[in-house]
Amino acid sequence: MPDDALGRAFGVPARREPVLPNGVLGMLIFVATEVMFFSGLISAFVIGKSNAVGGWPPPGQPRLPVEETAFNTAALLASGVALYFANRAFKNGSPNTKRLLLLAIALGGFFVVFQGAEWVALIGEGLTLTSGQLGGFFYLLVGTHAVHVAAGFIILLYTYSKLSHDDLDRFTFWPAQVFWYFVVGVWPILYWQVYL
Amino acid sequence: MRLARVSVAAAAVAVAWLADLAYACPSCASPLEENRQAFVDTTVFLTVVPLMMMGGFIWWLRRRIRAMEDAPEIAVHENLLRDAGPFSKGR
Repeated sequence: MPDDALGRAFGVPARREPVLPNGVLGMLIFVATEVMFFSGLISAFVIGKSNAVGGWPPPGQPRLPVEETAFNTAALLASGVALYFANRAFKNGSPNTKRLLLLAIALGGFFVVFQGAEWVALIGEGLTLTSGQLGGFFYLLVGTHAVHVAAGFIILLYTYSKLSHDDLDRFTFWPAQVFWYFVVGVWPILYWQVYL
Repeated sequence: MRLARVSVAAAAVAVAWLADLAYACPSCASPLEENRQAFVDTTVFLTVVPLMMMGGFIWWLRRRIRAMEDAPEIAVHENLLRDAGPFSKGR
């Protein structure tokens, strides 16, 4: 059967792509609920901060590591950028996809490990969940985000495993990206509110 | 029937008249200006965020549907278009 200029078999209706794959729609709905969840947490923090007696951060509490976390923030943002380029390479069928996806995963992993080390240091300085308003809000907000980063890290590892077996399609890769972009995008807001 | 309606309306007015301010929200009655402002800001924020998300999603979806509608649905051999005569859409 002859092919047309686009390489498709003549007379055969081209299969229409869904407007929005089910996986992506499901992930977008989930992310929307997560956005509202984080918005609620941030709002509670903003009101709590403005209501604090003696200013913010409360006196006598350990200082949060602003500069170190700025570096960690850059690593997480770089992870998002690497994932964006991994997607572009995936669309073009480029062999760089694997390398870029691995870079995104490595940077996400670095973020989690770095934050873990930061928490150990802060707990050592006396900042715990029950040490005061700062500690309570800090571990609630940053901890909730860390759980999401860990979940995103596992999702990216899963996509990498599928890619390694030549089994990754964009209907799997796309929802994973939506979640990771959310995780990356919400962090600068948390950093601005909690650390600065 | 009419008496019952008037009674209900009168009761509602009485409740509204007698009720004092509710102090359930600590921010509403806060003497701190910064706290009151934070309360207003977060209320605006929590109102606008879902509307922006829904609006953004509808806008993106509409754009995507339009782009997909422009894409060809059926592959047609170019020879067919070439031989279809001067009034063919392919020309």
